[in-house]
Amino acid sequence: MNETAARRRGALARFWRDYRAQRTGLYGAAILAVFVLLALVTPLVTDPSGLDVTKATGPKMAPPSAEFPLGTDESGRSILLMILWGSRVSLLIGFLAALLSMVIGTVTGITAGHFRGWSSAVLMRITDWFLVLPSLVLALVLAAILGGGTSTIILAIGVTSWAATARLIRAQTLAVEARPYVERSRVLGAGHWHVMTRHVLPNVAPLVLANTTLTVASAIVTESTLAFLGADAGQASWGSMLRGSYDWGAVTSGAWWYVLPPGLCIVAVVLAFTFCGRALEAVLNPRLRGVA
Amino acid sequence: MTRLGGRLAALGLALSLAAFPATAAQAVPAGVQAVQEPAEGKRIVRLGAIQAIDSMNPFLAVRVISTSVHRWMYAYLTTPDSKTLQPSPDLAESWQASGDKLTWTFKIRDTKWSDGTPVTAQDAAWTLNKIMTDDGAKTANGPAVENFESVTAPDDRTLVIKTKQPQASMLELPIPIVPKHVWEKVPDIGTYEAERYPAVGNGPYIAVEHKKNAYVKLMANPAYWRGAPKIDELHVIFYENPEAANVGLKKGDIDWIGRLAGPQFQALAGDPNIVQWNTQGRRASYLQLNPGAATADGEEIGDGHPALKDVKVRQAIHYAIDKQALVDQVQNGLAVPANGSIVPPMYKDFFWEAAGDTRVTFDPARANKILDDAGYRKGADGIRTMPDGDRKLEMRFSIHTEDPIEDKLAQFLTGWLKDIGIQLTTRKLDSNKFTEETGSTALYDIAISGWSVNPDPEEVFATHLCSRRPTAAGEGGGTESFYCNEDYEKLYRQQLAELDRPKRIALMKQMQEKLYTDAPIIAVYYPNNLEAYRKDRITSITPIPEDKGILYGGSGYWPVYSLQAPAGPAPSDDDGAGPFTTAVVATAAGVVVVFVLGLILTARLRRKGDDDRE
Amino acid sequence: MTAPIEIEPAAGPAAGPQEGRGARRGALGYALTKLGGALLSIGMVVVATFFLFRLIPGDPAIAYTRDVPLTPDQLALLRRQMGLDRPLPEQFLDFVARALRGDLGTSYEYRRPVAELIGERLGPTLLLVGTGLVIAVSLGLWQGTRAAWNHGGRLDRFSTGISLTLWSVPTFWLGLLLLMVFAAGVGPIPGIFPTRGMEDVDAPDGPMYLLHVAHHLVLPCITLVAVVYAQYLVVMRSSLLDEIGQDYVTTARAKGLRDAQVRRRHAVPNALLPTVTLVFLHIGLVVQGAVTTETVYSWPGLGLLFYEAIKGPDFAVMQGTFMVLCVAVIIMNTLADVLYHVLDPRVRSA
Repeated sequence: MNETAARRRGALARFWRDYRAQRTGLYGAAILAVFVLLALVTPLVTDPSGLDVTKATGPKMAPPSAEFPLGTDESGRSILLMILWGSRVSLLIGFLAALLSMVIGTVTGITAGHFRGWSSAVLMRITDWFLVLPSLVLALVLAAILGGGTSTIILAIGVTSWAATARLIRAQTLAVEARPYVERSRVLGAGHWHVMTRHVLPNVAPLVLANTTLTVASAIVTESTLAFLGADAGQASWGSMLRGSYDWGAVTSGAWWYVLPPGLCIVAVVLAFTFCGRALEAVLNPRLRGVA
Repeated sequence: MTRLGGRLAALGLALSLAAFPATAAQAVPAGVQAVQEPAEGKRIVRLGAIQAIDSMNPFLAVRVISTSVHRWMYAYLTTPDSKTLQPSPDLAESWQASGDKLTWTFKIRDTKWSDGTPVTAQDAAWTLNKIMTDDGAKTANGPAVENFESVTAPDDRTLVIKTKQPQASMLELPIPIVPKHVWEKVPDIGTYEAERYPAVGNGPYIAVEHKKNAYVKLMANPAYWRGAPKIDELHVIFYENPEAANVGLKKGDIDWIGRLAGPQFQALAGDPNIVQWNTQGRRASYLQLNPGAATADGEEIGDGHPALKDVKVRQAIHYAIDKQALVDQVQNGLAVPANGSIVPPMYKDFFWEAAGDTRVTFDPARANKILDDAGYRKGADGIRTMPDGDRKLEMRFSIHTEDPIEDKLAQFLTGWLKDIGIQLTTRKLDSNKFTEETGSTALYDIAISGWSVNPDPEEVFATHLCSRRPTAAGEGGGTESFYCNEDYEKLYRQQLAELDRPKRIALMKQMQEKLYTDAPIIAVYYPNNLEAYRKDRITSITPIPEDKGILYGGSGYWPVYSLQAPAGPAPSDDDGAGPFTTAVVATAAGVVVVFVLGLILTARLRRKGDDDRE
Repeated sequence: MTAPIEIEPAAGPAAGPQEGRGARRGALGYALTKLGGALLSIGMVVVATFFLFRLIPGDPAIAYTRDVPLTPDQLALLRRQMGLDRPLPEQFLDFVARALRGDLGTSYEYRRPVAELIGERLGPTLLLVGTGLVIAVSLGLWQGTRAAWNHGGRLDRFSTGISLTLWSVPTFWLGLLLLMVFAAGVGPIPGIFPTRGMEDVDAPDGPMYLLHVAHHLVLPCITLVAVVYAQYLVVMRSSLLDEIGQDYVTTARAKGLRDAQVRRRHAVPNALLPTVTLVFLHIGLVVQGAVTTETVYSWPGLGLLFYEAIKGPDFAVMQGTFMVLCVAVIIMNTLADVLYHVLDPRVRSA
């Protein structure tokens, strides 16, 4: 056992060395660390009552000032405060939707790769189907049918974005199962469950991680687009702030402090996730090593 | 540039040129001055609308934009007077009601359709009969003729309408009269699109072109019986994006926007070319409090909170609402706090204002006292319970999705009701579901609603009748409150038959007082009507009513009929550059912008290329 | 949204050498298999559409009347006309039969056949999406080639970085900003582009009409291109990198061929094929970009129709547009798949 632990530690060290070589990946990780940290400390250092319109103190649509570094919105709430609290909702939706997508994708992918015959064929047909459907359109329809709310948005994004992951994981599962030691363990009487969880899962896990990172990025963009098109989470997220700036005429009244910060935050976080995902992929996918 | 790169770039450029075919062929043909700008000498007004026409067939159209355009194209029997809003002659020169108030005789004006055919009473009779007999023609105005027994035209100038019950709102029929000789050839009214231009009409304007989802072009009707309008063309241009419409107005792409949302209205402040038009509106916004919903047969339905059956609770809620704060905070001051009921103060004659002891003011202490006295005790958590049980006063507040104003209102209401021991949670529903839950299945406690009132407010009173409640099968009849009160019913029946205007108004005011004190609904504010136009493009426009009235979306055609505009092309912001040059430059710039990035990169590549070679 | 970063095309032809079974059957057999798959997918879209839209709470007949009070008799009649009184399986068969005939129901809002509304909006969408796609693909392939050939260099980092940044931008936000700057004008930048739609009243006739429309097309097109071209760049870049690693490229270089020649004659043509195929596989992304772009610029296309239907809500139109968009994407995919198979010698002989 100790030997395994040492080997894992070694692998981790190797991974870190490789990852460090990916400069954009490092930048991405740094940006993410800052945003996640801010999201985590927000409840400790700020007062959420400032988000309540009845308690808002500032002037309406005021430009940045000492008291409100990023100005105020149509109700006199601090944009900075909303950005901070909105980051929690946006990141949460991004993570949870990606998590949901990852679980569905991994389970489908491993199952379709492990079992052969018609069950695998059916699963792959469904996967291909989800893969080609315009997912935003499907997510909008789902959100319209299920009604608003954070969980609906997470569900709508998660359910429409897992197919690519499933494809990737299935291919990887096929490759792993062809390895001699898996073959040996099967001959020795290992059941399906054992093979899938003990051999396949640990081997595909790194790829799942890289893929999930990329899914978070697209989930955050999708959340903001859904909010703009009218399916919002009911809480102040960056997407619903942009929708608010549109609803309350910030664009024509020139309130750039209301329009720009949420958008720039989305771009920064999405880009950071993308950089991390690409770096992870480059490190973990031997075929691509040194390419990305 | 390397050869391949050059080729790819050339390919890209060629493709994009293929996509912009006109850019490639830029010989300057004669007469291009017509591009985009009105021809010299024409007086044109361009109205922007945040809505597209749903149908050019007046039997089907329900959107405000469509019914407005139809108002301008077709005469109605009567039109609201430009000063008093009382019915005044339009297609009907005069009228008379029989002693039993069941027979109405109209004298039809001797005028012509735009194709030269004379207008006769047959046209009116055919139009109304079509709606009465053809289900496909009922979509837009079916309810308006429900009470009609028969409509006949004994001669070309006389129209006779017999009704089943007396109908005081007979002079407010919202029905455009269409030319029989054109429309009787239509095989199926219910599916007819009416996209034939120029349309045959007899209003001040004639529609000559409709590009779906883009614009409607109307021309002044030279044969209009009041005389042709003072402008030559009226364009109605559709925007999906209200922000883009605002930009269009500032820039001069359009000259006038009606029905602006508050934020867009305020964003136009300070522009020297723009007149901001802020007047009292036609709409009342109110809360619906489920008063113990039942069907038209009296069977209880839905799951409304039992406490709301108690008129004292409803009144207490009324005292807990700071209407002035709602106006200031939610409507940005662009509304009037409601000290009345469902009729907004714009209709001076019909508006009833609470005064003295009846008037409910913001007074949470009094609200708390009412609830205390009625036996609703506050628990440790500050939430009250029913006097006869454990049920807490926890209620739902139903609003529409995608409505930032209602969303904001909900946040305020939740705060105030908490102060009087009522816990409110907001539910956002799409408009279908909202209508169903608040109009037929009664799955609500408190909901937000509103109604745009016509110069004759009868219909808005009818929405609170017992008979408007849903049927036993649960099908909605159009109730706005599930209200059912014997006194109210009696007053309604009296006003129906009362043809004396002052007496009828007195009855209607009593109904408003009843609604105010019984509180099945609580009016919160009357939103202002917000519009804006360019003063360099519209030199004169008369609102309806003339004293501080509405420009677009009001009843009647007075404002568009009164429009005056300078002749010739709109003054352009950019100096000298003609519209053609602008278009060419802009298009070329667009193509360039797409490739500029690439070119820069290529240049960089060339520098870097040699160093990077492995 | 699909991440543009799938270096390995997740679906379709390049999905794995392990799956060569279909390939051995010859082109025709392969095409038939793919066609069958596409038909199955379309069937699944129809089934899913039917049941998804039956899940919507509320009575479609009441939704159809849009607040106009009806008598119970009228409502019952309407239900009968809409077929709501029949059992669900029967309704489903009816739905399928109608869909096959091109009857997608009647819009709640416009009172017109949904198929007709879709037909009207198809042209503008094809213009916008088509132009956008052509530009995005040319730009993406070109920049991708450049980036791959200089991979690791400053140019690579710069162009990949720019494209990924633009990819991270929410489409509607970029659209609003561009509208603000180039249609309204900010500071010294004049607002030289129109604020809405595809054409204005009194649009000129003949060739000048094309210029008129092109003028309106510029901003929507830039918005669409900016957001989607990254995926083509990234895919082209990685395909080309794959090729560069191949023995034949090394050999060609060893033979002393000039870099540009190697690139042009060998590497790029080989890398182009999978990339172009991917253009079609990812067409769904462009379609959804069109929904937001059309909304921001009031462009009278399918995407705007879909957005209006959501706002209505006009479930009949929503259902019809949803089905048409999905089926269009499936057809494009299948075409790409078959074409790829026919064109690529490696897959054919595998």
